[in-house]
Amino acid sequence: MKRPFYILLLIISTVLQAEAQNPAWIVPDDQKGKISLLKFTPDMAKQGEVIYMKNCQSCHGIPTKKNFAAIVPSPGDLSEPIVGNQKDGELFYRITTGKAPMPEFRNILTEDERWTVISFLRSFHKGYVQPDPEKLAASAGRRIKLSMVYDTAKRKIMVKAVELTKEGPRPAQGAVIVLFVQRYFGNMQMADPKTTSESGYAGFEWPQDLPGDKAGRVILSAKVSDPTGSMQEAVVRDTLSIGVPTDKPALTDTRAMWSTRDKSPVWVILTYTLAVIVVWYFIIYIILSVLDIRKIKELNL
Amino acid sequence: MDENTVNNRDEQEPSKPSRRNFLKNIGLLGAGVAAGAGALYSGDIFEKKKAATGESKVLLTQDNKLVEVDSLEMRVLAKNPTKLMLEKGREGIPGKRWVMVIDLSKCRNARRCIAACQDAHQLKPEQYHMNTLQMQDSPGTAPYQMPKNCQHCDNPPCVAVCPVDATYKRGDGIVLIDNIRCIGCRFCMAACPYSARIFQWTTPKDADKHNGEAYNVELNVPQKLGTISKCLFSADRCREGKLPYCVSACPNGVYYFGDENEDAVTNGTSKETVRLSKLLRDNGAYQLMPELGTKPRVYYLPPKNRLFPFEPSTD
Amino acid sequence: MDKIISDLSHHIRLNKGFFLWMGFLVLALLACTYAYILQLRYGLGVAGLRDYISWGLYISNFVFFVASSLVGMLISAVLGLIGLKWVHPITRIAETIAVAFAAVAGLVIVMDMGRPERLANVFIYARFQSPILWDVTVITTYFVISLLLLFIPMIPDMAVLHKRFGSLPSWLKPVYKTLSLNWTDHPEQNRIIHRSVYILLILIIPAALSIHTVTSWLFALTVRPGWDSTIFGPYFVSGAFVAGSAAVIIAMFVFRKSYKLQDYLTDLHFNNMGKVLVLVAFVYLYFNINEYLVPGYKLKRADAVHLSELMTGHFALMFWIVQLGGLLIPIILLLFRSMRRPLPLTLISIAVFIGAWFKRYLIVVPTMSHPFLPIQHVPENFRVYTPTLIEIAITLFSFILVLIIITLISKFFPVIPVVETARDKGLDPLKRIES
Repeated sequence: MKRPFYILLLIISTVLQAEAQNPAWIVPDDQKGKISLLKFTPDMAKQGEVIYMKNCQSCHGIPTKKNFAAIVPSPGDLSEPIVGNQKDGELFYRITTGKAPMPEFRNILTEDERWTVISFLRSFHKGYVQPDPEKLAASAGRRIKLSMVYDTAKRKIMVKAVELTKEGPRPAQGAVIVLFVQRYFGNMQMADPKTTSESGYAGFEWPQDLPGDKAGRVILSAKVSDPTGSMQEAVVRDTLSIGVPTDKPALTDTRAMWSTRDKSPVWVILTYTLAVIVVWYFIIYIILSVLDIRKIKELNL
Repeated sequence: MDENTVNNRDEQEPSKPSRRNFLKNIGLLGAGVAAGAGALYSGDIFEKKKAATGESKVLLTQDNKLVEVDSLEMRVLAKNPTKLMLEKGREGIPGKRWVMVIDLSKCRNARRCIAACQDAHQLKPEQYHMNTLQMQDSPGTAPYQMPKNCQHCDNPPCVAVCPVDATYKRGDGIVLIDNIRCIGCRFCMAACPYSARIFQWTTPKDADKHNGEAYNVELNVPQKLGTISKCLFSADRCREGKLPYCVSACPNGVYYFGDENEDAVTNGTSKETVRLSKLLRDNGAYQLMPELGTKPRVYYLPPKNRLFPFEPSTD
Repeated sequence: MDKIISDLSHHIRLNKGFFLWMGFLVLALLACTYAYILQLRYGLGVAGLRDYISWGLYISNFVFFVASSLVGMLISAVLGLIGLKWVHPITRIAETIAVAFAAVAGLVIVMDMGRPERLANVFIYARFQSPILWDVTVITTYFVISLLLLFIPMIPDMAVLHKRFGSLPSWLKPVYKTLSLNWTDHPEQNRIIHRSVYILLILIIPAALSIHTVTSWLFALTVRPGWDSTIFGPYFVSGAFVAGSAAVIIAMFVFRKSYKLQDYLTDLHFNNMGKVLVLVAFVYLYFNINEYLVPGYKLKRADAVHLSELMTGHFALMFWIVQLGGLLIPIILLLFRSMRRPLPLTLISIAVFIGAWFKRYLIVVPTMSHPFLPIQHVPENFRVYTPTLIEIAITLFSFILVLIIITLISKFFPVIPVVETARDKGLDPLKRIES
């Protein structure tokens, strides 16, 4: 009697909660107009597919197959018109910012990678025509070039931002820089974002205990993260030997009770083998000597 | 040899050592020594593997890359894909030590991890590699939801008792099961203090559909009747650089997964990568029943400042 | 002399009773075989076992069988080496029980395997660290030693029965001839037998202690409450002596009645076996007190759950019946001489024997029923273990097989050593063979 009522209540409250927690996902107007500066090509769509399969497929499924995950709110099939009819900027914004349970890809995929995914999705949207990137290139914001070095004395990663202007390169002040170090499942952000100084430098404290590979190498990437869009995205990647050289042995390297037979503790092998040999030596000896009983009669005759 | 002979005589017939008995003794001793040597030899193989390195060879791979391979590591590929995967599955990913962190403050028993896991591993609804348990440590403390999977212990009691090396621990920490070899004695289930292991008591899910498929030891599919299954830390996904099924499926950011050697774990929901040591330190991480000495590779962050209220589930 | 030989061998004939009894056993065995075929076809799921209680009837039964087989060592080796003459007529019964239970114990463990067709893997991939390899090794060893201890002292009997064949079934004659190994009572032959038996009696002591200690380690080497105990080895060994002694007493009673051996298995033998039983039962009681009182005093969390489930919870009824009816009351009763007469002693032994079986169940199942972490989100039959009919039939299969082995051995060979009995009475049957 009580139970069905409870379940009903649970369902209603869940639905209501879901409603309350999921207001419409509005994209700010100034973001809607954003477009890709790269031309969408079949090649690019193919690259996008690789990124999609790794990052999106687990929830959204394979486009047109409608095999998306059963999650509330539903992730939906991204080949549907409800996605196709959105502007490039809207899709870009949604991928960038995410909305629980969808993760935010701001720091997981670069801008180019996000556009590459969109180019893959657009290959399913019939009648889609890409806005001409050439026309917008001019007004796309300041072009920045980054470079990084490790300052051994200060123990800091110094990221330098240079603005490429018509007059030539000059230090870019006020660029917001984020520094990442590459790990197996994704990039790890190091410290908080820093703004470049007058000389175009942003310094990041380098932790002295971060593991690198066998030779202490770590792959770092720095990028300009400018929420206002006045600067174009810029990324620099570099491999520096500033991590702690890490070459931990495999966990199975020692002999142990739990290890495989080949790595059995020596005393276990010896004890077992010796016990078996000793006991079976006597058993076989007894069997053979008892069989000898048959011979004895003949010997005496 | 002389010494052996004397010993044997003493043990046997001190009064009347016949020639025949003498020969018999040598034969017996020989058999004994051979058995002992065989046992020691298997141990010796391991030592040799560790010590010796062959010369390296340069080979052209299918995707036109020149690679250098140690000749000891090279082997002719068998035609049998099951065998190939079994061999590959015995070797962990070099240099890695996988670790999982479960943030109890974020779990609201959504059970998406369970669904994704059961889907990937062809499990029936009542078969869990990952299960969320409603815990209450003592009457005065608050209840909480606790996802629980195989802890991939560094001192695994289940692996220790296996009679046939069917379940084994790899260099990267993952405890796997070779269900082509498993005899179904269930000693590992009895030995596991975390109740992490399940058994295929009846015909596994969709057995007809997957009949004849090659067996993938890193995914443990197709599941086999009369053998063991359990959480594998999604060894197949780790190899591809992807997060485990459960970790990726969680909508609430409960799971972190990564490599202890890199001191980094990645959250399955936000995909944010953070430092493992800092995460554990800042949140007062703990392990399940560390007093048992199993040395789990799963850490828990205590359920404080919870994102969701505790809701008892209906069953 | 002739009387001894005919008394001890007259049961060796194919009579109606034997065919009826064997027919019944074989039919029952076939019925139970069908149950095992079902298990082979549909998997272990036909038993009541599930993911949490994954060891049940089969493993309990296995432990019980190993326990019952241990009595061979107690009677032949321990009592025999001390030089107690009264055990001579009982040794062969004890060894027969040991051989039968040890042989079938190996089979019981195969019945519990999810993949019995992969049995060979245990030898191919034998892992030195696994107690299962140790167990397989020591049970095989113990079985072979017990078989030798059954056979070697029987060689002179075979010669006697072959020479003075009388009315025995004719087809047995060549069998006896082969097994007698041309025995002529030559001093050298006697020396070989004497020495072989002596070595075996010494060898069987560590082997027997090993089989049950290693079997107890299948449990004690885990960390589970109720199993995680350092005294499990001696606890199991002493319990095994109780079960085995009871089995020997029951067998003595049955053989005495059906083979008319009242003159050889006398009230004295029963009285003495009753004393042996009460002695080993006291030792077992002592270990029981240790096993329950020590954790019960401290009440560590998991132990407290285990003990309360046993003593006041789900298993309380079975627990108290077993502890009182199978151990405490028999001990008190057996202190009285009148209770050690054949019939009351046998009845008490039956209670002890059944109690010993359920005791193994109480060692295996309750510990599995309450693991460290809660059992949740699973069907009800995962939480509570109820053995199925198929499972019970397969367990009966093993008992029937034991009965068949004991029946066959006792039917075609003298239950009581002929030559040894004669010599104990100052006679020598073999001298007459020579002449």
